[in-house]
Amino acid sequence: MSVRPVQTLECRNCGAGAPVDEHFCPQCNRILALGRYGDYFAFFGLPRRLGLDVQDLERRFRDLSRKFHPDYFYNAPAAERLASLERSSYLNDAYRILRNPVARIEHLLAIEGLPPVKSDDGSAKVPPALLEEVFALNEELDEIRELREAGGDAPQIRARLDAARRPVDARRDEHERRIQELSARWDRQEGAAAADRHATLEALREQLLERNYINNLIATIEREMTSVGA
Amino acid sequence: MGNVVGIDLGTTNSLVAYVKDGVPVVIRDESGDALVPSVVSVGGDGTIFVGREAQRRLLTTPSRTAYSVKRFMGRGIEDVREDAGLLPFRVGAPRQARGGPSDGSRAGEPESQVLRIQIADKWFTPPELSAFVLRELKRRAEEHFRERGDFDFEVDRAVITVPAYFNDAQRTATRDAGRLAGLEVLRIINEPTAASLAYGLDTRNRGTIAVYDLGGGTFDISILKVEDGVFQVLATNGDTHLGGDDIDALLTEQALSEIGRAVPPEAVQALRTAVIQAKWDLSEFEETEIRVDSAPGLPTGYRRRITRAELERLMHPLVDRTIGPCRQALADAGLQPSDIDEAVLVGGSTRIPLVRRLVAELFGREPHAELNPDEVVALGAAVQADILISGRREMLLLDVTPLSLGIETMGGVTSKIILRNSTIPASGREMFTTFADNQTAVDIHVLQGERELAADCRSLARFRLRGIPPMPAGLPRIEVRFQIDADGILSVSARELRTSVEQTIEVKPSYGLTDAEVERMLIESFEHAEADVEARLLIDARNEAETVVQATEKLLRRPDFDELTAGALAPGERERIEAALAEARQAIGTSDRELVQRKTEALNHATRHLAEVVMDRSVREALAGRNVKDV
Repeated sequence: MSVRPVQTLECRNCGAGAPVDEHFCPQCNRILALGRYGDYFAFFGLPRRLGLDVQDLERRFRDLSRKFHPDYFYNAPAAERLASLERSSYLNDAYRILRNPVARIEHLLAIEGLPPVKSDDGSAKVPPALLEEVFALNEELDEIRELREAGGDAPQIRARLDAARRPVDARRDEHERRIQELSARWDRQEGAAAADRHATLEALREQLLERNYINNLIATIEREMTSVGA
Repeated sequence: MGNVVGIDLGTTNSLVAYVKDGVPVVIRDESGDALVPSVVSVGGDGTIFVGREAQRRLLTTPSRTAYSVKRFMGRGIEDVREDAGLLPFRVGAPRQARGGPSDGSRAGEPESQVLRIQIADKWFTPPELSAFVLRELKRRAEEHFRERGDFDFEVDRAVITVPAYFNDAQRTATRDAGRLAGLEVLRIINEPTAASLAYGLDTRNRGTIAVYDLGGGTFDISILKVEDGVFQVLATNGDTHLGGDDIDALLTEQALSEIGRAVPPEAVQALRTAVIQAKWDLSEFEETEIRVDSAPGLPTGYRRRITRAELERLMHPLVDRTIGPCRQALADAGLQPSDIDEAVLVGGSTRIPLVRRLVAELFGREPHAELNPDEVVALGAAVQADILISGRREMLLLDVTPLSLGIETMGGVTSKIILRNSTIPASGREMFTTFADNQTAVDIHVLQGERELAADCRSLARFRLRGIPPMPAGLPRIEVRFQIDADGILSVSARELRTSVEQTIEVKPSYGLTDAEVERMLIESFEHAEADVEARLLIDARNEAETVVQATEKLLRRPDFDELTAGALAPGERERIEAALAEARQAIGTSDRELVQRKTEALNHATRHLAEVVMDRSVREALAGRNVKDV
């Protein structure tokens, strides 16, 4: 048996029903207990689009802060104080996530039902598309490390690290472009067939996984660079 | 309903302010002083003295007097060993120090390890001592409202400020102190943020602001974005163990090493008072003298010339310690120094020219110092108090939590649940599970800090979630939920989702007071006598006398004194002033109120002409009728 999401909220003050994403009771205007967790876009009254005007988001954040903040519920009944605390906390979280482009995509994937991008055990498998490059890079890094430990010439080592980094940087730039393309495609697909939309999300998820992996590689190179400098 | 105030509870000085006709003002005593030294002294008969009177007692009965108590708020004994060595009072965590059996803690609750400070034969917790200071401020405000003719002059609610970088235990201790002083603490707010509120009032401007707050004992840096009346903190950083106190300690140590032998605590305090005076002088002049005429165990006194350059060499390493936190805060906010539109100075130590130069260099612009850096935090606290009770919505503070919060997981690793610089209120949840088969309880160890290992983070509290049904390891779904309220104070709950076994605790910090302890202290606090009306009048007279004495001494010490007064003073005028000064100084040491008042008036009279001369020559404006305090 499946469950059905709640679509309406009941105001604890006057008992009127309100749509689940409302913040205040349409009838008595009191702050409502948080209806559901999960959809930050809906909380801000935004469509599930990845292209987002950050200044507009900021303005909405300030407006909602002005409505929910516990400062303004100091003398309110306990239930409203709690609702204000909950909504403010949730708002702050929602703002932090949506403001960050990558966190925004991850959030979209989560509310669209895709598995999390971060693996539980942290030991990311090498994405198949990157296998060959990663193999070559690791070999090069091993050699550089040996060279460094044998007291090799620092400028020379640095030059090799730079060279090793260049293709990885290029890869990352390519991923950024790809992620932007896919994001734009998602935004155009409103009302398109579910399967097509899903395919876009799957592709985005794939890109994010690879992106995380590439960032780890870059971090490794940077660590190596610091040890040479030291 | 009584009145509402904003309180800056400082390491060295405290202030109280309120909003009058929409404008925040600080409340002053009769001699015009807004600062109440955060010093508490216990008289031989148990009477509690606070403020300037307590500060005077530091010179005569240092073993019965405590200062810099804020450094001990919410801390454990091992945190403060270093500090405790430098101070004249004893610090410890005595078991059964006072009170009844088992300290009244609830069954199963760990016995509180709260640190205590010994004054004479009594042990006080830091919140109790801070409560004495708060009560003095409350009294001062009530007197002000009564004199104004208010029918309801009682002060029963307050917003109290804390350093932005205070951790959960330190915030909770501050809230406890407020309760002990008979105040409902409306809100705990961060000092730099409060300051920005005071600055933002009339400017109505928008932009990115850096607030650099170097006080007596703590340093904070906060980066804020102000837009449309919303003051949003982007990042904060700091050091709860860095301030003017440390400069004083360096200077005192230098004096002691130059004296070259052990001296009694009274003499140490006399030296400390003199070096502080010299430090202040050097913010204005290039050179001054550290001067103690005589003190117990130091009959010949101590005199030494010191230049600003010398002081700067000595304190440079201390001031440099503020650079790292500033850079980190900028990085956390994702900003470059050039993104900062305004830099604002807060805290008495920002009067030091070296500090101003450093801030100008760090942020590439001259910092703002239009408002008195000692008063601006209390003004902001008053504004916030007014917002809370009036429901005014044109201004809103959105602050952040300064340190990450999390729990200890297997292998002693910290798992963060709320990251530092998250806007508060904030909540976070994380799922955990068991690691042994049939495990029926889990220990939740709440931590605060940035380090990977639990042992390197601050332990806030421990509690146990029991009643998990026996299941194979890894099967239970334990949800740990953190909630930080608008005061920045944390509560934690844990729940096993398969069975809904739940346990919620308000995090009572490991180094904090239990509710039972606070209750008991509330009862005990009524037993502490405060100075009676007659004693207060004497104290007020002494305070006034001291204000005039200090102002006169400062004038006479000015390196440019001869230039300023050349040809303007009558023969023997300086000698007459010196004589009146000595008499006033001597009168302060007596308990004869009328004598104190008479000698103060005489000194005022003797210096009137000099004050006019100096005022006239230095400001190039004739301002007749002013007295020495205004110079």
